[in-house]
Amino acid sequence: MDDHCISALADASPVHRHPPPNPAAPLAVELEDIHKSYGPLEVIKGVSLSAREGDVITLIGSSGSGKSTLLRCINLLEIPNSGAIRISGETIGLKTGRLGRTEPADHKQVERLRTRLGMVFQSFNLWSHMTILQNIIEAPVHVLGVPKAEAIDHARMLLDKVGILSKADSYPVQLSGGQQQRAAIARALAMQPKVMLFDEPTSALDPELVGEVLRVIRQLAEEGNTMVLVTHEMAFAREVSSEVVFLHQGRIEEQGHPDKVLTNPDSERVRQFLSRHLSS
Amino acid sequence: MLDLLSFGPNGWGAQLLSGTLMTLLVAVSAFGFGVLIGSFAAAAKLGDRLLLRGLAETYTTVVRGIPELLVIYLLFFGGSGMVMALARVFGYDGYLELNAFTIGVVAVGLISGAYSTEVIRAAVRAVPKGQLEAARACGMPKMLILRRILVPLTLRHALPGLGNVWQLTLKDTALISVTALAEIMRIAHLAAGASRQPFVFYTTAALLYLLLTSASTILFEQAERYANRGTGRR
Ligand SMILES: Nc1ncnc2c1ncn2[C@@H]1O[C@H](COP(=O)(O)OP(=O)(O)OP(=O)(O)O)[C@@H](O)[C@H]1O
Ligand SMILES: [Mg+2]
Repeated sequence: MDDHCISALADASPVHRHPPPNPAAPLAVELEDIHKSYGPLEVIKGVSLSAREGDVITLIGSSGSGKSTLLRCINLLEIPNSGAIRISGETIGLKTGRLGRTEPADHKQVERLRTRLGMVFQSFNLWSHMTILQNIIEAPVHVLGVPKAEAIDHARMLLDKVGILSKADSYPVQLSGGQQQRAAIARALAMQPKVMLFDEPTSALDPELVGEVLRVIRQLAEEGNTMVLVTHEMAFAREVSSEVVFLHQGRIEEQGHPDKVLTNPDSERVRQFLSRHLSS
Repeated sequence: MLDLLSFGPNGWGAQLLSGTLMTLLVAVSAFGFGVLIGSFAAAAKLGDRLLLRGLAETYTTVVRGIPELLVIYLLFFGGSGMVMALARVFGYDGYLELNAFTIGVVAVGLISGAYSTEVIRAAVRAVPKGQLEAARACGMPKMLILRRILVPLTLRHALPGLGNVWQLTLKDTALISVTALAEIMRIAHLAAGASRQPFVFYTTAALLYLLLTSASTILFEQAERYANRGTGRR
C-alpha cells in the first residue's frame, strides 16, 4: 500500500475549496437505478446519483469503469436500458421501441432538456466548417431563437472570459488544443445551461495546456455553476468537487466528500487506484 | 467548312447551340435527380432498416452492373408501360406516353444516382461522429443537424467524387441520342449524315463536350475550396 503518495496529496493545500453541499438547494440532476448494456455487456449496473444546484460532482475510476457512459446518460447521448433520469425535477420519458430497445418517448422533450445541459467532450468536437464565433452562436440562434446580434455580443463576452476573444474569426483547426477546449466550453456556456457536463476535458491535451483549461473550469465552479465532471486530475478534483464518486465496473464503489474519498477512502480499491494515479 | 458550322441558312450553328443547351439541361436535371436518389439510397444503406437497405443495395448493384445503354432501352421501351400500370392503380385508364426528355433524365439520373449513392455514403461515414454528437448535445433537432452540420461536412468529402459523377453524367447524356432527343450527339449525327462531313461534326461535338467538362471542372474546384474552409486544405 502506497501510503506515502496519499499523504502527499493530503499535504497539498489547495487555494480554493468547494463550499459544503447545500441540502436545501433544488435538485438539478437525478439518476435513479440506471442500467446500461452494450449487447450482452452490462457496463452500468444500477447507479443512483443526484446533483443539487451548485454541486460539483466528480466521477473517477479506472478505464472502462463506465464514467463516460454514466455521464452521457444524463443528456441521453446514451439511452439507459432501465432507470429514471430527472432534470430539474422533470422526468425524461422513456419507452420500449423497435427491436426492444429503450428510446425517448418524446424527442422534443429530450431536445428541450438538452438545451439546459451543456456538454464538453474530451476531443472538443467543435464544428470544423464554422469559425469559433459561428460555433458559439449556432445553437443559441438556431435552437433557442436568440437574435443574432444579441448572440454575437454574448459570444464575445464568453470568448473574453475564456481568454480567446482574438480567435473569434479563426477556424478550429487554427487553434491549439487548449484554445479549442476553451472555445468548446464557451459554446456550451452560450446556451446558459443549468448544468455543465465535462467528459475528461483535459485528457487529449499536451501537459502544458492542461492548466489553462482547468483554470476556466475552476472559475466556473467558483461562480456556483452546477457541474458533473469526469477527470483523471485528482488534485483538481479534490479542489473543486463538492462530492467525488468512484465507479468500479459499473457500480458506485465509494462516494463522499473529496477530502474523505481522495485521502482516506474506506475502499481498498479506491486506495489502490489513488496510489497508482498519484505516482504517475 | 466554316459555312457548315455557321448560324447562316446552310449552317448547323443554331442546332448545335440548342443541342448543347439540351445536353446541359439533361445533364443538370439528371445529376440533380441522381444526387437526390443517391442521398436517400445512401441514408437507407447507412440506416438499420433491413428492407430499405436491401432495396438500396439492389438498386446500386443492378444499375451499376448492366450496360448504361441497356438502362436507357429498358426505360424507353418499358417506361411508358410502367407509368400506365401505375396510373391504372390510381384509377386512370387513358394512354400515357413519356417524352424523350423525361425518359432521358430519369434514365441518366438513375445511373448517375447509383454512383452518387456510393460517393455520399462514404462521405457521410467520413464525418467525425463527435461533431454530430456535439450538435445533439446542445438540443439541435434532427433536421437542423442535417442542414447545418451533416450536409456541409459531408459535402467536404463528397465533392471530389460528385465531380467525377457529374462528368460521367454529362457524357452519359450522349447515350440518349438513341431516343432522338436533340442533344449534341443527335445533332452531330444528323448534320454528319446530311453534309457527308462526319469528321467535322463529330470533332465539333467532342469540342463542345470538352468545353462543358472543363467549365464544370472549374466550378467544382471553386465549390471544393469553399467546402474545405477551415480544414487548412486547399
Ligand atoms: N458504444 C459502445 N459499444 C460497446 N461497448 C462500449 C461502448 N461504449 C463503451 N463501451 C464499453 O463500456 C465500458 C465502459 O465504457 P466507458 O467509456 O463508460 O468507460 P470510462 O470509465 O469512461 O473509461 P475511460 O476512462 O477509458 O474513458 C467499457 O468496457 C467499454 O468498452
Ligand atoms: Mg471515458
